[in-house]
Amino acid sequence: MALLLNAEHAFGLEDFESTAKIVKFAIVPKKHEEPDQSPKEELMSFEAAMLPHLDAAHNLARWLLRNEQDAQDVVQEAYLRAFKSFGGFHGSNGRAWLLTIVRNTSYTLLKKNHAVDLTTTFDEEIHGSGHESVSPATILEHAEDAELVKEAMDELPAEFREILALRHQEGLSYKEIADIAQIPLGTVMSRLARARDKLKECLAARIGKEK
Amino acid sequence: MDGYLDGELDPITSQAIEQHLRECHNCDQAYKTQRSLIRAIGNATPYYKAPSELRERIQSSLRKEMAERPTRSVARDVQPLFSRRQPQPRTIGWETSWNWLALAAAVIFAAIIAWNLGPRLQRPGANQFLATQLIASHVRSLMANHLTDVGSSDQHTVKPWLDAKLDFAPAVVDLSNEGFPLIGGRLDYLDNRAVAALIYQRRKHFINLFVWPAAPDETRTPKTITRQGYQLLHWVESDLNYWAVSDINEKELQEFKQLFEEQSVPH
Repeated sequence: MALLLNAEHAFGLEDFESTAKIVKFAIVPKKHEEPDQSPKEELMSFEAAMLPHLDAAHNLARWLLRNEQDAQDVVQEAYLRAFKSFGGFHGSNGRAWLLTIVRNTSYTLLKKNHAVDLTTTFDEEIHGSGHESVSPATILEHAEDAELVKEAMDELPAEFREILALRHQEGLSYKEIADIAQIPLGTVMSRLARARDKLKECLAARIGKEK
Repeated sequence: MDGYLDGELDPITSQAIEQHLRECHNCDQAYKTQRSLIRAIGNATPYYKAPSELRERIQSSLRKEMAERPTRSVARDVQPLFSRRQPQPRTIGWETSWNWLALAAAVIFAAIIAWNLGPRLQRPGANQFLATQLIASHVRSLMANHLTDVGSSDQHTVKPWLDAKLDFAPAVVDLSNEGFPLIGGRLDYLDNRAVAALIYQRRKHFINLFVWPAAPDETRTPKTITRQGYQLLHWVESDLNYWAVSDINEKELQEFKQLFEEQSVPH
C-alpha cells in the first residue's frame, strides 16, 4: 500500500477514486489479523523499544526517590503507563519519552509522601558553612570517592539530583533534559550549573567535617 | 562555562571562549579544574542498574495488562470500522459503472507506476534510512552504558539467550582466536522489528553485528557503506540479513565478515 501511495504522490495523481479504493484495500487484511495478533505484536515492539532503557529508568528513579523499593515500584508503574499510551508514541527518542514518564511518576510519589524537596526549599544555611577553606584541588582529591559523592548528591534537592543523573550518567543533551524535566533550554543550563556548584559545596562541607 | 564544558554552545560562542582560554591563564586554570572535577564526579557517582527481578516483574505485569486488553481493543477497534465503512459507499455514490471503470483504470495505472518506479524511488531512501538507524543503534549502544543484555564470551550462553527472545535463531560464534572476541548479545529494534545484535571487539573498538531475517527480495550482493566515519557492511547468508557496523577500517571489517562466515557455516 505504501508503494501505491508513494508512486501517486510522485506524479501528483492523488484523485478521488483511487483514494477511495485505497481505503478499501487497507481495511480488508487488517480485519482478519487484528484481533489476536496486534496486542502481542504491540507488546513485542514495546519491549524491544523500551526494555533497553530499563537501567536508565531505574537509575533516574533511584536517584529521585533515594530508596530502592520505591524506585522499583515507580519504574514498574511507569512501564505500565508507557505501555498503555505506547500507541500514541510516534517519536524517535524512546529513552527520553520513557524517562519523562518515570520522572513524572517519581514526583507523584514524592509529592504523596511530602518528600518533594525542590530547589526553592533547599536550605542554604545548613550547607553554606565550613567549606570556604577547602580548595578545589582538595575537592578534586576526594571527588573519586564514590561513597562521599553519593552522600553529597543525596543531600541535594530532587531537581538537582535529577539533572545531574541525566547529564552525567545518561549523557543526555540539554534539549533532551529540557524535554524530560519540562523546562526551557536556558533553565537546563543554569540549573545544571547551580546543581554542580551545590554538589561541590556539599562535598566541601563533608571534607571540611572529616578534617 | 558549563555550556562550553558540555559542548552545548553554538560554534561561534565556543570559539570565542576557546580563544579567551588560550589568552587568559586564570580562566584556563578555572576551566581545567572545573572540567576534571565534573569528570571525576561523573565517574564516581554510582549508577544504579536495574536488578534482573525488576525486568521480570515488569515483563509479567505487561503480559497481564495485555491479557486483559484484547476484549477491550477488539470491541473498540472493530466496531467503528464497520460503522465507518458502511456509510462510505453511500457518500461516494457509485451510481454509474463509469465510476468503476475509471477507478479500475486508476488503480491499474497506479499499480503499474508503483511496480516500475516504486522500487527505484524507494530503495535509496529506504537504504539511507536503514543506514542511519544502524549507525544510531551502534552509537547508542556505546554511549548509553548498554552494550550488552547478556555479556558473555561464550557463544553457548549468548545463543540460547537470543533464541529465547526472538523468532529466529541467529548463528553466534566466538572469534577470540582470530582477534575478534565475542563480548555479548543484545536485543535491538531496527527496520520495524526486533533484531539480534552481537557485539565483538577489535582492540579498543567495538563491532555491532545486527541480524534479522531477510525479506525474499533482499539484494544478495554484499555491499559496504561509509558514513560519518563508520563502516557498514551488509551481506545475506542463509536467509538472514547481516549488518556489521563499526569504526574500524573497511579491510578489518571485511576480514571480520569472512571469519564470521567461515565459522558460522555448519561443517
